Parts: sequence; structure tokens; C-alpha cells
Amino acid sequence: MEAEASSFETSEMLARFLGSTPLLPESWNLCGRSNVMAPQSFLTDEVGGVTYVAFSGVQSVDGLDPFCGNLVPLAGVFPVDAGMFPALEDTVMVDAGLLHLFWTIFHTPVFQNQMFEIKKKQKPVVFTGHSIGGAIAALSSLWLLSYLQSISSPPTVICFTFGSPMIGNEPLSRAIQRQRWGGNFCHLVSKFDILPRLLFAPLAPITTHLHNLLKSWHLTMNSPFFFQDPGNQLGDHEKSELFHFVLGYVEATARSPGTNLSFVPFGNFMFCSSDGAVCVDDATAIVRMLYLTFASGSPSSCIDDHLEYESYVGKISLQFLNRTEEEICESNTYEAGVTLASQSISSGHMAKDCLKMARRIGRTPNLNSANLAIGLSKITPFRAQIEWYKESCDQSDDQLGYYDSFKLRGASKRDFKVFMNRIKLGEFWNSVIDMLEKNQLPHDFHKRAKWVNASQFYKLLVEPLDIAEYYRSGEHRKKGHYMKQGRPRRYKIFDKWWREREAFRENDNDNNSVSISGSGSNNRRSKFASLTQDSCFWAKLEEAREWVEKVSSESDPRHVVALWASIEKFEQYARGLVDRKEVSIDVLAKNSSYTIWVEELRVLKLHSQHFSTQIPGILDRKVVP
Amino acid sequence: MMEGSVGDRSGINESVIIKACFLAVKSHKSAVGYIKETGTDETVIFAFSGSWSVQDFYTSKPFGETKIDVSLFPSIKSIGNNELAMIYHGFFCRFQSVLQNPSFQNEKYTRSGNRPPCKCVTFGSPLVGDRIFTHALNRENWARFFLHFVGRHDIVPRITLAPFSSIRNEFHHILDFLNPNSRNFQKSSSLTSQDASAFFNKVLKNASSVASHDACNLMGSTNSLLEIISSFVELSPYRPSGTYIFCTGNGKMVHISNPNSVLQILFYSCQPDDESQVINTAKRSLCMDYINELNDSLLGMQDVVYLDDKMEIPLSSNGYDAASINTALTDLGLQKLENERMIDSNIPIIEKTQDLIAKYKQTCEDRRIGYYDAFKMQKDSEDFRENVRRLELAGKWDEIVEMLKRYELPDGFESRKDWIELGTKFRKLVEPLDIANYYRHSKDEDTGTYLRDGGRPKRYKFTQRWREHALRLKEGSSSETTFWAKVEQIRRKPFEETKEQIVALEKEVHEWVQKNELEKDVFLEKSTFAEWWKTLPERHRSESCLKGFNQKYLYNIQARLLDSSKNYQ
Repeated sequence: MEAEASSFETSEMLARFLGSTPLLPESWNLCGRSNVMAPQSFLTDEVGGVTYVAFSGVQSVDGLDPFCGNLVPLAGVFPVDAGMFPALEDTVMVDAGLLHLFWTIFHTPVFQNQMFEIKKKQKPVVFTGHSIGGAIAALSSLWLLSYLQSISSPPTVICFTFGSPMIGNEPLSRAIQRQRWGGNFCHLVSKFDILPRLLFAPLAPITTHLHNLLKSWHLTMNSPFFFQDPGNQLGDHEKSELFHFVLGYVEATARSPGTNLSFVPFGNFMFCSSDGAVCVDDATAIVRMLYLTFASGSPSSCIDDHLEYESYVGKISLQFLNRTEEEICESNTYEAGVTLASQSISSGHMAKDCLKMARRIGRTPNLNSANLAIGLSKITPFRAQIEWYKESCDQSDDQLGYYDSFKLRGASKRDFKVFMNRIKLGEFWNSVIDMLEKNQLPHDFHKRAKWVNASQFYKLLVEPLDIAEYYRSGEHRKKGHYMKQGRPRRYKIFDKWWREREAFRENDNDNNSVSISGSGSNNRRSKFASLTQDSCFWAKLEEAREWVEKVSSESDPRHVVALWASIEKFEQYARGLVDRKEVSIDVLAKNSSYTIWVEELRVLKLHSQHFSTQIPGILDRKVVP
Repeated sequence: MMEGSVGDRSGINESVIIKACFLAVKSHKSAVGYIKETGTDETVIFAFSGSWSVQDFYTSKPFGETKIDVSLFPSIKSIGNNELAMIYHGFFCRFQSVLQNPSFQNEKYTRSGNRPPCKCVTFGSPLVGDRIFTHALNRENWARFFLHFVGRHDIVPRITLAPFSSIRNEFHHILDFLNPNSRNFQKSSSLTSQDASAFFNKVLKNASSVASHDACNLMGSTNSLLEIISSFVELSPYRPSGTYIFCTGNGKMVHISNPNSVLQILFYSCQPDDESQVINTAKRSLCMDYINELNDSLLGMQDVVYLDDKMEIPLSSNGYDAASINTALTDLGLQKLENERMIDSNIPIIEKTQDLIAKYKQTCEDRRIGYYDAFKMQKDSEDFRENVRRLELAGKWDEIVEMLKRYELPDGFESRKDWIELGTKFRKLVEPLDIANYYRHSKDEDTGTYLRDGGRPKRYKFTQRWREHALRLKEGSSSETTFWAKVEQIRRKPFEETKEQIVALEKEVHEWVQKNELEKDVFLEKSTFAEWWKTLPERHRSESCLKGFNQKYLYNIQARLLDSSKNYQ
């Protein structure tokens, strides 16, 4: 029962669904037009309330030369929430040449205007492009998706590429999966097309061939009706060299997955043949399919197939008129799905195995979700014990409050129990995130009120303990402050869930006792919140403590000014929370770190009164708490 | 496998079905919208005519849906979620005009004794309602009263799967061609094959979208591409409901009652063999003669395949290709049953935990403090333990609510007697604790009162609605468990502002106590309610309907305590 696999193979069904919508024909239509009418640029169109942006596949080949095939970091280019891409600066990389092409178009006023319109309209957007245009479309989608992260109800973005080269490395692929953006990308790849496989191979040895190939493709793409100019084509020998060179690398990659990969696919790949299509989103399966289908091709088909998307799109969108083979009636539905899917790309048993491999081992998402719910109810007592602990700390005679009691705790059995509960809860929530990122949970899991509320409540209750533990064990001296270096990833993700939560009509206060600041904030609290509404309050305080320590010993007046500015900022922030009663009473306990800090600050200010003439403007305002 | 004729299965005699079909066709010529005749074995048949005017179909919304009128159809909704079914507006208008017809109003229908209730037999009918409609029919166990005959290629049952705007251009010609009253009726000269194929293609393409989308979802696809594509396209809300009999055109019939399978077969059975067959298939899709077809297949030896939830399907031999999908859907049906089994396995734990809370309630009472107030104070470790139990129960019930919200339990779940009873018990026992917790933490100041929109947990709303629906009670009439929330809300405001609310609450309390729905511990001397009530102006109290209640019930409780202590000795 444990390793029960999902009983259905849906890759073919999904392709069928996509094929029955107008999305592919409309996208391709505009791609074709942009190839002819807008070389080195793009076209936009609006059909049925959807904005289509198509990048021409005809791009400056000369511009590509010095870069193409080399990876450069994406960081600094995109306004991404750095916290959501851990160590993004070094690891997420994209192709330099393609990035350069994207930048060139991105900085044109026409493009900026279009993006402005799109952001304003809040309507769904399709980015699309044939050939190299597809890579630009993918980068544009990535940029817009990153930008839209900060918006509450963003328009939907989807990217369809036709025969696009790969654009980035494994960290990019992983980051896209973590962001759950995989579904926003659908790369159509025909069976034999060489371009999507090209970047598995190093380009230096084949530069000349490639140049000629791109030029001849561009000529054909650029002419209406795809008129082929015989004069510019590669010779048979050159074609054969190119094909076998690339095939060798694709095969090597497929045989030993995960080794020495500079370029890695991401999102969905829709493999098309004249018999149908399948949608695959498992990266390993995609690589193997790229190999298996390509290997059945030939030197000439690998080049011609790059220009065949028109007919593939036509076939896919007429698929509903063609009855599928009757052989599919195997008793096992999963087997039937695999057979159907491998027939759709007409590549026999190998592809069949490959699809089987992509099958998700594990329970079906809904069962997983139901089991997690049971897990949640099992850990609830741990949470309730921590709540109980907090209350007893807050009422205790030493008046330390929840945070400081835990930070300064002795070796009592009770403290140990809370310590363990904290760890168990952390493990549980980490496992939830892990399952979600591995696509083992329903797609809307992180939007379900139950989980959003439960995670928020967990964060408000337990993060102060994590902060206390961090500073108690002196981690901050080794790694740096909690906010910058120590905050577990789960809390950042829960912040995101909470930020993006749909306006739940019900906040399910019961089970999870979430106090929502903001909503209903017109009503002033008559007493302090049961949990401090900013779970990072204590981490911020720890930094403020350091500033206060430093400021008296600091000699450089510029640093002193900066420190005072930070101190004052924190003071205002903290006082705001206290005034709005958004802190729990433990913050104001007689011996809490915060109370002590306020007192230290007061003394410090008295002492520095005589400096105030030297540091104008800093201490003029009233700062006595 | 259960064998039998269509008549035995459906409880409608074959000759009645054929007569009904004959009348259904005949009714198109009727002026009043329906005809009535008595069939063999004294069955009375009402046959309703369709509309042939584009105007009646025309809608501004893409799929012409409208919320069902619950005053006419009180059960056609989901109970806990309280979602109303959507139906095709044009059909509803047509229904209303028949309903208002004086001659129809004079018809009397009384269901006497053991006679079966009325049944509905349709021939090539378009889809009328959405998935909630289907859900409600299944929950009430009414799906068996609806028998739909559909010709394998007949396009009409698939029409509402396409948005009206997409077929607007051809629709007029199509209706004219199908209308028995028109001079162009079934005249091939009146309808170009381009129009016919264009119409057929559009309907079939949309049917393909709906079918493949649902199939992906049912198979549990986790690929987020599915969700994202769905947000770019509008899909028809209509789904099949009731029992379907597909007529294959060669005398064979396929009988299916799983609505998900029906949807798939609606699409797959209509597909042409390949693109070259489109024109032929399109033509065939507009010429369906149900009377002939049923004469062939119903009379004499019947050749029926019954596709039920728990059997392998020999579909391909009948020329259908949906076998794999169908088995998939069967598995899906099993998935819902599996979910139900899992939920059912919680019953003993829920019962046990609820018993423990009931015991807690009793001990509190013995200490002469209501458990509401004891819990609100949270003085003892016992109170804390109950809080953990409350949370455990909440987790279990929330899981049920979550599944119901996504319709992942069998349709009949919300009318299961054992769960309704368990839910009512849970609500009566635990909701006061939730309210106590709410006001103990002053959550009213964070987010508003407990009784505001969205304040009260769904697990209580759902269980309350289950009971109200099962007992046919008025909506909201079973809300006694929110008593404490009302008290807390009112006592926070000055008397003058809330005078009317107080009188209303007192009246309710009076009634609940009479009906034994409210426990008497609320009158204990130290209870939040009693203490607050004592602060009300003397004049109000002396006129209140609760005057004297306190003494009376306190006395009773004391007497019982005395009794129990005697027993103890």
C-alpha cells in the first residue's frame, strides 16, 4: 500500500485537452506572422480576451556568436525575491547569447509599452515564439512571472515555444519547479527537430555549420509560405555531421542522467508527431524522450522538422476528429494510458518504458493530502503543549516572558519537551513542503484555507522559539543574524502562502486560532494579541540589541549616525506594534529582552544627551518610551 | 453482472417507453407546449415539446446558465457547501411557461401508497444542469428516476457543451432542419454540408475539451499545466445526470449510470472514424429517428450492455473506444468510496473523544459550573486536555468538510443518517467550546464576532445544514449551538442598544429549553449567561419570558446532584 502508484497516465489526455483549445493555433499563427513580418522583434495580438505576444524566430545570428552556448548568471537581471531562490546569485544561469537577445528586445520602448499595457489590463497573457523566438518568449515569461509575484491577483501567464533551444541550467529548472511555474511553460518539440537538443552539445566545433543552418532556416521562415531557398542549404555531408555530433551528446546525456549537464529542460514538453502528442513534465523523462525520438530521425529530417510546426499544430488541433486505435483496451488503465501515449508519438516500446519511468511513484495526490491531514491532527497536541507552555511562561513569577524563558531555559523536563515538540513540528512542516515541491500533493494545496491557516499559526507560535534557539546557541556569531542567514526556508514559504491567500471568507479561526492583523484592523484591540503578529519580532530585536551595544563603543561618527537611524527605525516599528496591541504580552513582561532593551536605550540616550549637539537631528525627537 | 431488460431495470414497461417516445415527437405540434395521454397499464404520460426558435436559446452568457430557483427546487443544491445548481436559462423559461399554463396547473398528481414516484424519460435531450445538479440527484437517490435515450451520433445531447457564441452562425439552419413543424424538416437541400460539418466540428471540439479536461482531473493529474490552460478557456458547466442508454444504431444498447462515464462516451461515441468521415458523420448527427431505433432495440430480444461501477467493460466490441477511460472512471468511483471508507474508520475515535468531552461536561456540572465557563477560564490541566481533544476532533471534522468542499466523497454522504446524527452530537457538544475559546482569546477583536460571515467554522455550518435538510427544517432553525456566541455578542453592548435582540434571544432560549435542545447548565448561577442576565434592568427581567427559569432549573439540577450523590454513597 505504501508505494501505490498513481493509476493513470495522463500525458496523452493532457495533450488532447490542450489540443482542443484555441491556444496552440492562435499562438502558432502569430509566431508565423512574426517570423515574416517582424524579424528581430515581436508582434502582439488580442484574441478572445487573451493577449498573445510572439517573438520572431528570425533573430540576428551575428549577435549570438560570442555568447551562445555559454551560461551566465541570471541574478541581478530579474527582480526576483532572492529568498525564494536560495543562493540564486551563483547557481541559476542562462545562455548568454539568448539572454542578450532578450535584453535587446526588452529595452526597446515598444516592448516596455506593451508590458505596461499587459500589467495594466490584468488579462491573461500568452508568450510564444518559434525557434530562437521561443527562448526569448521563455525569458520574457520568466521575467513577468517574477515581477507578478509581488501582485495580489496577477493575470495568468503561459509560454508556448515551438522548437526552442534550451535556455538554462539545472538550478534554473529546480527553481522553476519550486516556484511551481512548471505549468506556465509548454515547449512543443517535434520528433526530429535538432534545435531543442542542440545545447546538449558543445557548439564550438560546429560553429560554421550552425551559422549556415540558422541562415538557411531564417531565410525560409522569413519568406511567406515557408518557401525553401535551395541555394542556401547545407550539403548532405554537413547535415550528417551535425546530426551525428548532436545525437552523440543527446545519447550520452540520456544514458547518464544528472552528470555533467550544463543545459537542462524545465516546464512541460509536448512531443509532437503526425500521430498525436503527449505532455511530459518530468525532467528525466523529457531528456530520455528527447533522445529516443531524435534517434529515430535522420540527418535531413532533423533539419526539416524544425520548419514543420505548422502542420503539427494543425494535426493536434484536429485530433478530436480522429478515433484512436482500438488496441488500447488493455485491462490495466495505467498500461492503456502508456500505450496510448507512446502511440501518439509513434515511437514504440522504448518511449513506452520512458513514460512508465515518468510515472509518479507514491500515493495519489488526494490520498497524500488526506494522510497529511491525519498527520496534522497528530501533531496538534504538540502545538497545544507549546501554547500551554507559553501561557505558563507568561504567567510565571520570573516575568521573563515566552521568548526569554525559552532562550534562558534550564534543563527541566518541561523545557526539553517543548524543545522536542518544536523539532517535531518543524520536521512535519518540512515534509509538507517537500511533498508539495515534488508534485505529490494537489496543485491547489498551498491555497487551501486549512493549510494556510495552520502554517501561519505554526509560524506565529513556533518561530520565536526557533529564533531563541538560534541566539541561545550562538549561531549568529558563526553565521550572522537570523534574519539574513538563519531563517528556515519553510517560514519564508509560509509568508508567501499567507501573502497570496485568497480572501478566505472564512478564516477558520477555530482550529488554528489565527489572528489576522490587517483584516478588521479598524477595530482596535482591547487587549494584547495572543501571539505577536510579526513572527520575526524577536530576531529584529536581537539585531537592535547589537546596535545599542555597538553605538556606545563606535568611534566613527558616520557609523554612529547609521546605527542611531537603525535603532530609531526599530524603535518606531516596535512601538507601533505595541500601540496597536499586535504583540503578545510576553513582549512587555517585566524582564523580557524587549523591556530591558527599552530601558538600556533610555539610559543610553540620557548619557548621549551631551552628544546631541554633535549629532544633530538624531535625538531631537522625543524618544522616551 | 445483473442482467435484465431495460423495462425491468428502469421500472418502466417497454411499451410505455415507446409510447412516450411517440408522444414526445407528437408533442412538437402541440400548441400548449405539452400533451397528456394514458398509456398501457394506466400510466399517465406527459410529453413536452422543445423550442425551435433561436431566440429561446439566445443568451448573453457564453453558456446561458442560470442559478436554479430553490423555491421551486429546494433540494437541487449541495447541502454543506450550499451551492445552488446551474441550469440552462432557456430551458428553465420554457418550463416556467408550461408550469403557468392553467391547464397544466389543473393537473393533479398524488402519490399514493406503494406506487412508484413519477419518472422522466427523454429522447435525445440536451444537457440541462451542472455538476451540482448531478450531485443533488445522486444524493437524493433520484438519478434512477431519469432515463435518457441518446443516439450514438445524435448531436443534440452534446449541444450545450459548446458556447452559444461559437455556433450562432449555423444554429438557425440547424434548428430549422430539426424542426418537425418546419417545411425544411430533414430536407437535405435546406442545409449545406459546410454548415452541418462546421456545426458538428465546433460542438465536438468543445465536447472534447470538456471530456479530456474532466478525465485529466479525475485521473488525478498533478501537472499544473492543466490548471493554467483551464484558466485560459471557458468550459461548459453542463454535465450528464441520471441514467443513460446509448442507442448504437444497430439494435444494441449500452446502459450507463456513472455520470462521469456518460460524459466521456458522449464525446467518444460521436467521433468520426477519421477526418475524411466528418461530412458523413455530421449528416448522421442530425438525423436521429428515436421511434424506429427504439422499436428495433427495445421490442423482442434486447441486446443491452450494462456498464456498472464495478465491472470490466467490453466496450470496444460495441464500437466504443472509451474503454480505458471508462475503467479509469470506475476507479474514480472507487476512489470516492475509498475516501468514504477512510472517513468512516474515524467514527469510533470520534465517538470516543466525544464521550470524553461529554464526561468533562458532566464533571463541570457536578462542580456547579457550566463547561462553557470552565473551559473559557482554562484554570485546570483538565481544561487544557479538553482543548487538545477539541482540536483533535476539529481536525477530523475539518477533513470531512474539506473533502465535501471538493466533492471527493460519494454524493449520498450528506444524507447518511449515522453521520447526520454524529454531526449533530458533535455540534451540540463541541461548538460551545469553540465559542468559549474564541472569546477567551478575544478573537472578536481581531476579526469580528463569531457569528459574522465566515467567523463560525464550516464544520458546524455543515453539520447544522445536514440536520436541517434531513428533517426538512427551515434554514437556520437548528442554530441553538450558537447560543453562547449570541450571549457574548449581546453582553458586550449596552442594554438600550440590544433590547430587541435580548427579547428575541430570550424567546429562542425559551423555545429551545422546551424542546430540550438547550442544556440547562446555562442557568447555573455562575454561568456567563446567568451573571449577565442578572445585570439586566429589573423591569426587563420581571417581564421576561425567562422569569423564574433560573430558580426552576437550578432547583432541578440541584435535585439531580443530590440524587447522584446519594447513589454514590
